[in-house]
Amino acid sequence: MTAAISVRHLTKDFRVGLRGLKLRAVDDVSLEIPRGQVYGLLGPNGCGKSTTLKIVLGLVSATAGEVSILGCPSATPEARRRTGFLPEAPYFHKFLTGRELVRYCAQLSGVPSADVAAAVEDALGLAAMTDAADRPIGTYSKGMLQRIGFAQAVVHDPELVILDEPTAGVDPVGSAAIGRMIHAMRGKGKTIVLCSHLLGQVEQVCDRVAIMDRGKLVLEGRVDDVLSRRDRHVLTVESMSPAAREAAEATLAAHGAVVTSVTHPRRSLEDLFRELVTGSRDA
Amino acid sequence: MQASFQRVSWIARVTFLEAVRQRFFAFLLILGAAMALSSVSFRVLDFGHGELKFIADFGFGGMFLFGSVLAVVMTAQLFFSEMDNRTALTLLAKPLGRGEFLLGKFAGAWAVLGVFVAVLAGLLGAVLWAREQELLLLAEQAGKVPPTFSAAGLAQFALLQWLRLGVVASIVLAISAVARTFLYAVVVGALAVVAGQLQWIAQDAILKPSESPAYEAVLWCTSRLLPNLQQFNIGDALVLGTTGVPADAVGAVAMAGAAYMAAYVFLGALLFKRREI
Repeated sequence: MTAAISVRHLTKDFRVGLRGLKLRAVDDVSLEIPRGQVYGLLGPNGCGKSTTLKIVLGLVSATAGEVSILGCPSATPEARRRTGFLPEAPYFHKFLTGRELVRYCAQLSGVPSADVAAAVEDALGLAAMTDAADRPIGTYSKGMLQRIGFAQAVVHDPELVILDEPTAGVDPVGSAAIGRMIHAMRGKGKTIVLCSHLLGQVEQVCDRVAIMDRGKLVLEGRVDDVLSRRDRHVLTVESMSPAAREAAEATLAAHGAVVTSVTHPRRSLEDLFRELVTGSRDA
Repeated sequence: MQASFQRVSWIARVTFLEAVRQRFFAFLLILGAAMALSSVSFRVLDFGHGELKFIADFGFGGMFLFGSVLAVVMTAQLFFSEMDNRTALTLLAKPLGRGEFLLGKFAGAWAVLGVFVAVLAGLLGAVLWAREQELLLLAEQAGKVPPTFSAAGLAQFALLQWLRLGVVASIVLAISAVARTFLYAVVVGALAVVAGQLQWIAQDAILKPSESPAYEAVLWCTSRLLPNLQQFNIGDALVLGTTGVPADAVGAVAMAGAAYMAAYVFLGALLFKRREI
């Protein structure tokens, strides 16, 4: 089976200034994104990840290299027909309602006229935007904008969904809602490419990650593989007395193991926030 | 083909909705309408011409001036709002050709210009008709031949003006496809309108013999690349002329306008294909 996205030796130079000096935004990047997985593309601002995504979508031309989507050369209408895209900080025509926007995008994406109404309702339902669908987009909060953006990206039931910073500026509750949408899409067998700065969320939802820095790919692999430290172990113990701890440490030392730290486990602040702030689904 | 037409019509529909909600459109429409309606009050300044001619010229002037401003500024604004707000990112990531996108933007802008011309022509027709009725009575009492105007001629003139504004909008879109800023597109678009108004000078000059082939080549290119926008200004003959204008002459002007529109939209689509979003 062909990869969802195949990038080979991709390079992109921008010409800047009057003298046309070259600025290399993407430098000989090669990667394969398998189908049916959630793939995280990470990196600091200006590392080339958004440029890479734009090349994949045919919005920017590559200086060198090849990109294909689901076996089709990228930048062809056929490739884009099978792809959904949520841009970073999406902006839509404010005078349209959410439902009108999603219908507009369904028509542009080639959904047959007879199926448009059902596709629009499905996408709005998936994004939990049915209740607010008839309000003008100008009245939406940031989180609702991201969710309606998600709905327009998936309304034509694409095989590949590319999400560029879907949780930027969204509070943890809204962020969790977007995480649930990503899980739902993965449950349907879709491939999702997630570009994000929220490393905690990426760690939770992604199967594989790639990290870019200064235009180069510096790491790529399964999340479990790249994060696990095989030479370290964590034991979580309840009700341990000082004597029991001493005995345990002595036993481990007798077997040649070295206890490097003993701490109390902590919840993440995000978990605590989400536990306390319930009911507010509208980000 | 049908799917492509549907995509273009959806882009045009949203572009039209966006444009008619703009205050700029309403402002120019009100100014143009006010100019057409107020022409009756200024008819004492008719410089010795007939009253109906003065009223018609006043209306034609409003249509030309505010229509040109609308065609240049609104078309550039509709294009750059998609680029600057990055809505184009969302749309062009869909199976939508860049040519389809640009054609949709043009169709939406041209539809708005059609509304503008129709409203102004309707108002001008109403003012001309009302004054014509008054002048008919006065002429009967004085035993003179009453002045008249042609409503059909006014409709033909309005169609020609719509075409002229379409040509201007297509030129502005082609410029916008390569321009980096809104201001650049507006300034160059406005210069193109002025050059189009003066294009007849090049056409006249090319008829005169010249010893410089380079000079002739420049004149030839100018006279072909730039549309002659003056050829659409046959309002006097169409609306007030006693003999009218031959249908084939009106048809030739319309065909030339349509050809220039198609050529500039095509050029814009070619240029836009190379643009990085």
